[in-house]
Amino acid sequence: MRYFLASDGRDFEIEVLSADGDHCRLRLADGRECEASFRAVDGSQHALLVDGRAYAVSIEPESGTDQDLRVAIAGESFRVSVEDERERAASALAGPAGARPEVVKAAMPGVLVAVPVAVGDRIEAGQPVAVLEAMKMQNEVVSEHGGVVAEVLAAAGDTVDAGQALVRLEPPAEG
Amino acid sequence: MDQPPFEKLLIANRGEIAVRIQRTCRELGIETVAVYSEADRDALHVRYANQAVCLGGPSPADSYLRGERILEAARATGAQAIHPGFGFLAENADFARAVEDAGLAFVGPPATAMEVMGDKLASRAAMIAAGVPVVPGTDAVADAAAAAEAAAGIGYPVMLKASAGGGGKGIRVVRDGDAMRSAFTTASGEAQAAFGDGRMYVEKFLECPRHVEIQVLGDAHGNLVHVGERECSIQRRHQKLIEETPSPVIDEETRERMGAAAVAAARAVDYRSAGTVEFLWSQGEFYFLEMNTRIQVEHAITEMCYGVDLIEQMIRVAAGGRLELPQPMRPRGHAIEVRLNAEDPDHGFRPSLGTIDSLRLPGGPGVRVDSGAYGGMEITPHYDSMIAKLVVHGGDREQARRRMVRALQELHVGGVRTSAGLALRVLRTEAFRSGDYDTGFLETWMESGESAAREFADDLAEVAALAAVLYRQQEPLRRPPQQASAGGLSPWVQAGRRAQHGRDA
Repeated sequence: MRYFLASDGRDFEIEVLSADGDHCRLRLADGRECEASFRAVDGSQHALLVDGRAYAVSIEPESGTDQDLRVAIAGESFRVSVEDERERAASALAGPAGARPEVVKAAMPGVLVAVPVAVGDRIEAGQPVAVLEAMKMQNEVVSEHGGVVAEVLAAAGDTVDAGQALVRLEPPAEG
Repeated sequence: MDQPPFEKLLIANRGEIAVRIQRTCRELGIETVAVYSEADRDALHVRYANQAVCLGGPSPADSYLRGERILEAARATGAQAIHPGFGFLAENADFARAVEDAGLAFVGPPATAMEVMGDKLASRAAMIAAGVPVVPGTDAVADAAAAAEAAAGIGYPVMLKASAGGGGKGIRVVRDGDAMRSAFTTASGEAQAAFGDGRMYVEKFLECPRHVEIQVLGDAHGNLVHVGERECSIQRRHQKLIEETPSPVIDEETRERMGAAAVAAARAVDYRSAGTVEFLWSQGEFYFLEMNTRIQVEHAITEMCYGVDLIEQMIRVAAGGRLELPQPMRPRGHAIEVRLNAEDPDHGFRPSLGTIDSLRLPGGPGVRVDSGAYGGMEITPHYDSMIAKLVVHGGDREQARRRMVRALQELHVGGVRTSAGLALRVLRTEAFRSGDYDTGFLETWMESGESAAREFADDLAEVAALAAVLYRQQEPLRRPPQQASAGGLSPWVQAGRRAQHGRDA
């Protein structure tokens, strides 16, 4: 199986040549091969050996999917996106990023202070669609990809849970 | 063993500082009473105490800020003294007075000292009278012309500030007389709009200021000493991230001068207990900023370098004991603290709420962890985001710096984001290595996007990619990852609803 990854802003392509329990033989895009051993130890903590080099690695799925991981090694934290061959083929069919519908969610529980968007508004990537108060601080909730507001699902004054959908965006019409 | 100063002490706080105070109490043979909110039933400070009393709902107004309820708890448990920690009621003069009126010892300063130091104008006047250097400035000025005249006397550049100011509104840096008129008009208008008060005053603008503070200790017998400085310039929006002692810019002679000024400041308000006199240091001169009339978050670095337990000293002097510390106190080696906040530096430092599902704390030589965190702990929006403090001590500054880097590499907090990664990057910057930084450094450096060299030879981004592949490869061996709670309400929302709709609903 081949995997396509982005880690720390760099692209990686890694192929699993063989797997036997905790042991794997892997090949990187430049042809280098390595012998790895990988064991789950305690919750998100894992013990990794790569050609005898040892690493204490913690891995947590971000936003609940195994395609988006947060990997911590020696105090450094990397956001790693990973797709296997099948997932890559499926996402190629879905079209380029940005032309996908997006649901903007609350990243944390809190109270909505403002939802300054209305159905039909054009939203740019990174633009705030809501202001959420939590821990006595006001935090902007921003759209990742942008689009046109199709539905506003929450209003100022609402108490919202982490992960609750606030605004649904559709890809903008071409032209 | 000596007779303990008290038999039983109530700690009117939560989290790491409550645990910190309990540790000293245990060593002194003092029984502890914890108070807690309904959200903190499982907290470490409740589990580590000898007795625990529930104060009410999760919101601080329903629990840790209820002075009457805390006094009742002290009476019911027979506690003889109350330590307020920091935050909550620690600098509330009415509470300190109520504690003493109830016949209990308040482990902190006299209420009158809190009142004077809690008032900007009153404390400034008291400091001028005591001969403590303050930032040169004026009272309220009538108009732009009066401001320009005052500024010429002080020397440009100056800060034009709103008397009712706060939150950065109504503040301007003015570099010459020509700029004064328009600066005055806009800043005064801004202040009028924001605070309903357009009065302005002029203050000297300090170039590249550093935040250097002096720890003081006093007893009820008139003894007042200082325990050196702490350098706290690595901060963002006045929130400190990394502190160290000694300060890279303070030599022994300056330390003694600042220490004497801090002691004079404390003496001016008949100070007792532990307190911190904050100064701005700029180009070799220092100016009184304010006095914090409580134990400080960063007190542990002073303890590591000076070999003194500040909490123990506070408790002993609250019981009427005399300070018995060698004078002058000299620092031994170097200590650094990193504050571990549950927040996400990659997303505007927003609070990172959730459950700590995995926790690995550092250890080994010279490492101290003051923490209220535990595996399974829920980070709620009710309280401050600081969950732990990492403190290291080394023979010299570079050893301490490397030790902190090592400790941060060992640390892992799973389930929530923390400030640890940012601190690690700051410790690697040339500015931190050389000690040449000021209070503007952290924000400027973060905006620049400049990163510092890693101390790890291996290509960690590649290792992370390999680990991700192996994680995916073993997917069939794991249960599917937990979906973010879409249907079920979080305990935080449930608690909020309970509070709104009555406890038994």
